[in-house]
Parts: sequence; structure tokens; C-alpha cells
Amino acid sequence: MTNETPIFEAKNIVKEYSGHRALDNVSIQVPKQSIFGLLGPNGAGKTSLIRIINQITAPDSGEILIEGKPLQREHISDIGYLPEERGLYKKMKIGEQAVYLARLKGMPKKEAKEQLMSWFKKFEIDSWWNKTVEELSKGMAQKIQFITTVVHRPKLLILDEPFSGFDPINTNLVKSEILKLRDEGATIILSTHNMGSVEEICDNIALINNSKKILDGKVSDVKEQFSEDKYIIEFKGTGVAFANAVWGGWEMIKNEQLGEHHALATIKLSGGTKLNDFLKGIINAVDIQSVNKVTPNMNEIFIRAVEQQNSSIETDVINENTNQDG
Amino acid sequence: MGKIGLIIKREYSTRVKKKSFLLMTILGPILMVGFLVAAIWFGQQEEKDLEILVLDDTYILSSTLVQSEKYHLTSSQDEGIENIDDGKEFLKESDKYDIFLYLPNNIVSGNSSVGKLFYKDAPSSNVQRHLEGIVDGSIERLRLDELNISKEDYARLKNKVQLHTIDVVSNEEKNVGMRAGVGFIFGLMIYMFIFMYGIQVMKGVIEEKSNRIVEVIVSSVKPFQLMMGKIIGIMFVGLTQFIIWVMLSLALTTTLSLTVFPNMMNPENAAETIKVEQVAVGLTVEQVDSDISETGKEFQDLIFNQIPWGLMISLFIFYFIGGYLLYGSLMAAVGAAVDSETDTQQFILPITAPLIFAYIIAVMAIENPNSAAVEWCSQIPFTSPIVMLVRVSMGAEGLGWAIALSMSLLIGAFIGTTWVAGRIYRTGILMYGKKASYKEMFKWLRHK
Repeated sequence: MTNETPIFEAKNIVKEYSGHRALDNVSIQVPKQSIFGLLGPNGAGKTSLIRIINQITAPDSGEILIEGKPLQREHISDIGYLPEERGLYKKMKIGEQAVYLARLKGMPKKEAKEQLMSWFKKFEIDSWWNKTVEELSKGMAQKIQFITTVVHRPKLLILDEPFSGFDPINTNLVKSEILKLRDEGATIILSTHNMGSVEEICDNIALINNSKKILDGKVSDVKEQFSEDKYIIEFKGTGVAFANAVWGGWEMIKNEQLGEHHALATIKLSGGTKLNDFLKGIINAVDIQSVNKVTPNMNEIFIRAVEQQNSSIETDVINENTNQDG
Repeated sequence: MGKIGLIIKREYSTRVKKKSFLLMTILGPILMVGFLVAAIWFGQQEEKDLEILVLDDTYILSSTLVQSEKYHLTSSQDEGIENIDDGKEFLKESDKYDIFLYLPNNIVSGNSSVGKLFYKDAPSSNVQRHLEGIVDGSIERLRLDELNISKEDYARLKNKVQLHTIDVVSNEEKNVGMRAGVGFIFGLMIYMFIFMYGIQVMKGVIEEKSNRIVEVIVSSVKPFQLMMGKIIGIMFVGLTQFIIWVMLSLALTTTLSLTVFPNMMNPENAAETIKVEQVAVGLTVEQVDSDISETGKEFQDLIFNQIPWGLMISLFIFYFIGGYLLYGSLMAAVGAAVDSETDTQQFILPITAPLIFAYIIAVMAIENPNSAAVEWCSQIPFTSPIVMLVRVSMGAEGLGWAIALSMSLLIGAFIGTTWVAGRIYRTGILMYGKKASYKEMFKWLRHK
């Protein structure tokens, strides 16, 4: 993380809804000009946090900072928000309501119109200006919603499941627009269940489960953290030679034959065995072609992190019950 | 223009541009005036010429009955009918006669004179009154002859006393009943507008909630701004529609009364039956007319001099806005608490109940403007917008403090309801799938 003041910072946010704690001491930092993945299962508390950032609700305690300053009403024009459950006025003309939404974000009428027109052209939908939403398909409406979210050039964009409802072509279009916006200086908080896109475009992530942040950091760091000592070694030689070269401190997870005396072995080191030592052991037995570290994908990390926390909560509950019994 | 201004403008312009608004605004007065004209026109049409067969047991009356242009009376003797049963049978078979009028023996001698009117097609109450007038006139004339009283003396006897009600404070002459009627019409309009536009507020909120645009908007403006923008925008729609209605109605009635029905709006028409009755006695038309023009003058005096229009209209606008804001904000809260219009029933009832109660009190106020119920209800904010105008229409003198108190209570109340509604609204618009209960809504009030 850079030394620069993060564009967005949440400090110890707590939010309760009639007895249910939706956010429990959540702190996150989003560096400037990055794409930040806000991840978590349904009902984890993501939407609660997003609503607090948008000042739709206020936290019970904790602090939100935008570029180091406490969040205020003036920041509204700096933020663009695309909610997961989104809609438009069905009977209002598209151009008219896009201008209306842009003006609510503080854009002057003329500028709003010009900017919207250029976005409509970019998305090849300028002929829809005078149509109503009723005449459009869901995907078409999604495009309009995306445009109305970004048209006022917010410094901070919050996109909740921005790709849902788009076909692969439009998903790519939106993805490239998001990347372009970041390159032009915007910071994006992306809340999604689509782990593929997280891996593809996110720089940092935070994972929220059961109202608590359980994981955060750079995508590469998180992957490193969750990687086990697993390697894929491509070699020429016999499997028996490979298997007998080093005794103990590792296990074979998979052995895939690529041809005669040519195989791909997935191994896991254990008991403090170093990769170097292992390689020293086999280097005389087989002909090493390549060595790659196995890194888990975000999907696996997500599932593992969530399951870990859930089971630790269960253990806590059991311990508590036992203590009470005792 | 601030953000709330943008919201007001959107609420206003999308509604005013709707075809249904245009249709309602233009058709409303046309329909109203149209119905009125049609009612009067049909009323006039109904008075077709009637052939009436008269069986008169005394044989005295039938010879003295006055014939008129529209009512042709024929004595049963001319058709050879001598008793009531024959008369009834005759009427059933006859193509000529529309009505069989039976006047029993005691009708001249007795004090309560009951005759019978047999018909094939039910006659209007107008026809009935007219015939009663003719018979009454004949009986009176017979008795005049019996008592040997001249027509001139009778005209002097027939002097009609009118009591003019005069307010001792302002020393002004007032027609209390008619004035209350005018006040009631104002109250009725407020009642209608609160209902119509209150429901529109609720529907608007449900629309924004169910099409999910609300979350985008509340990320730009405070929920309270969105709610108030909607309520105020729709209020202007209501005022626009009201002003257009008044102007169109005035223009229409003026045009119609000048062209198609020059006599329609003339109060003298209403006095037509009195005229018939008195002419039947044999009074001259001039004698009768002087009475009637008195009634006409009184009506004009009421319209132009007695009703404090300036005060009434300013109070109308105040109570319209106050009452609308009071109920409109509650309607907005209901809209926010539910997911769809079908769920609104349980919340709408407690809101409409006081409104309907106010209407009933307003009806009562016409008869008895100074009852305790009316005085209380013209102060209670939930009923005052509808009741107060009836009270004021009967004279605002001495009501200064009552009006001031009622107005301040209303202002206080709508500030209160908007605050409560704002709290419910804020939480409700973002709650989906959860069925709101009163208990739940009470919790929302205390959310931070």
C-alpha cells in the first residue's frame, strides 16, 4: 500500500438493526486509483457498509474518511453508486431521467446533457434518448444505469454486482470501462460474487463474513497467504525414480503422464521441507523441465476463508456452552 | 435550484404531462357542467303535456280547476265515469290519459285533504307539486267565495313573512343556511383533494420503491428531501388542477348561461311552483313576481355580498395545503412501509377514518354550526381542514382566535406528522419482503 492518504477509509464501523449486528467493528482502507473488491456471502453486511458510505444510513459508531476528511453531504457528488437492486422510472423518457439523476448528483443541466450524450454514443444507444424504460430489455436498462452512475465523474465509484444481467460482450464492455475509469483517476469499490472478475480486475480485496472483516489486502498477498506449499513439477524420467528420490517431507497429490517418461507431478511439501532441498533430491533422479507454485484462485480462498470463520464461530459457541455447563 | 426543487419539478412535470391528468383536468369541469345541464335539460323535457282525468266526488272542484298549457284536465263525467274503480280501469285501458286524479268528498270540507293520483308512468315530483298547487288554489278560491273575501283582501292576507337573519356584531344580513352550504362545498373540495392527491403520494412512493430506483436517489438526496419533494410536487399538481377546474367551470357556465340556457341559472326558475299555486288562486302575475324577485335578490346578495370570498379563498388554500400535508405525509409513510398496493389496506383505514368523520361533522355543521362537535372538530388538525370552512362561511366575526388557534394547531400537526412520516419513510423505502407491522414501524421511529 502506498503512503498516500487512502481515498476511502472506514474505521471500526458498527451498525445494528433492531438487535442484529450488521457490521461488527469493520475497518477497511481503499487506496487511490485502485479497484477494490468488497467480497462476502449474501447477508454478510456488504450492503450495510455500502449504504453507510452513501450516507443512506449512519453507522452506530466508527468513522468514514474520504481523502482523510470525515464523510459529509458534500461528498455525495464525489461518489457514484450502482446498487445491486436497481431500477429506473418506467414511464419517464430515458434521456430525461438520466439528466435528472445527473443533476441530483450536482451536475449542471447543460453539462449533464453533453456528457450523457457522449456516453450514449460510446455505448451505441444514442437512439434511445426519447424512449421509455418499458421499451427496453433488461440489459439495455443496465447500460443506462451504469452510465448514470459514472456520468458525474465521481472520484469513488461503488458498483454492486455491476455485471449481473449483462451478456459476455457487454460484460467486457463494462469491464473495460471500469478499468479505463480507474486509469483516468477514479477509485472503484466492487462488490460481487463473481470471483473470476475479482481476480481479473481487482487490486485489493476485503472479505466480510458474519458482519466481520475476515480478510483483506492486495490480491497477490491474499493469494500468497492462502497458498500451501504446493508445486507442479514437469519432469522427464520415470515416476518410480521421482517417487523414490526423496524420502519423507512431501506427498504426491497428483501424477499426470504427459507421454512415455514425461509427467506432471503435483506435490505438497510438509514438515518444513524447503523446495530447494526437495529439488536437490530429485535433480539427479529425473530431468526437471519446469517448476510452478500452485496458487489458489479467489473462489477457493473465498470458500475456505468463510468456512474457516464459520467453523470457528461454531467452536466458540460449543466452548461457550460447555463452559456454561461446567 | 436545490435538489428538492429538482424533485418537485420532476414530480410536477411528469404528472402534468400525463394524458390522464390532461383528460381529468379538461373533462372534469365539462362532465360536471355537462351533468348539471343534462339534469336541468331532462328536468325540463320531462314536463311534457299531460292528459289528466279528474274524478271529483263533490262535483264542485272540477269545474273550478285552472287549465294550464301543459296540464289538460278533463272531468270524469265527460268520459262517463262515476267511481274510483271505473276510473282506475279506464286509465289502464286508455291511450289518451296519463294520470287519473281522484278527489274524495272530504277534500273541500276537511282540513287534511288527501287526494289520490293514479299513474301509468310515474310522474315527477314536479308534476305532483304542480297538481297539488292547482287543487290547493281551487280549494282556496272556493273558500274565498264562501267567506265572501275579495281577491284584493286575499292578496293582503297572503302576505309572506320572511325572517332575515342579522348578525348583531357586524350588523350584516345573512342567509345562514345558504352560506353554510357554500362553506360545505369548500370543505368538500378539500376532502376530495386530500383523498385524490394523498393516494397519489402513496402510489408514487410505492412506484419508486417497487421499481427500485429509490436506492439510487437516496444516495444523492436525503430520504426526507425525496419525500417532501414528492409531496410538494403533487400538491402543486393538485393546485394546478383546482385552478384550471375553477376557471374552466366558470367559463363554461357563463358561456352556457349566456347562450344555450339564458334562464337556467336564474333563481326565479326555482320559484316556478310557488307562482303556479298563487296564479291558480287568481292573483295577478305582477303580485306574485314581486315576491319572487325578492328571493332572487337575496340569492344574488348571498353570492356577491355576504360570502367573505377573500377570507374564504385564502383559508381554503391554507387548509387545503395544511390538510394535504398532514394526510399526504402519512400516506407517504404508508407507501414506504409496504411492498405493493395490495398491502396498504390495514394502514389506509386509520388514516381515512378521521377524514370521513370530518366529512360527517361538516354535514352536521350545515344544520348546527355552533354545536360543540363542530367547534372541537374545527380545532382538531385531522378534521379542521374540512370543518373550519363551514364555520367560517357563516361569519368570521368573533372567530379570529378560533381560526388562529386552528391554523397553528394544523401547522404544528403537519410538522409532527411529516417528522414521523420521514422517519418511517427513511427506513421503509429500503426494506423489502418484510411485512411491516405497527410495532415494526414504531421501532423505525427510533432508528438513528
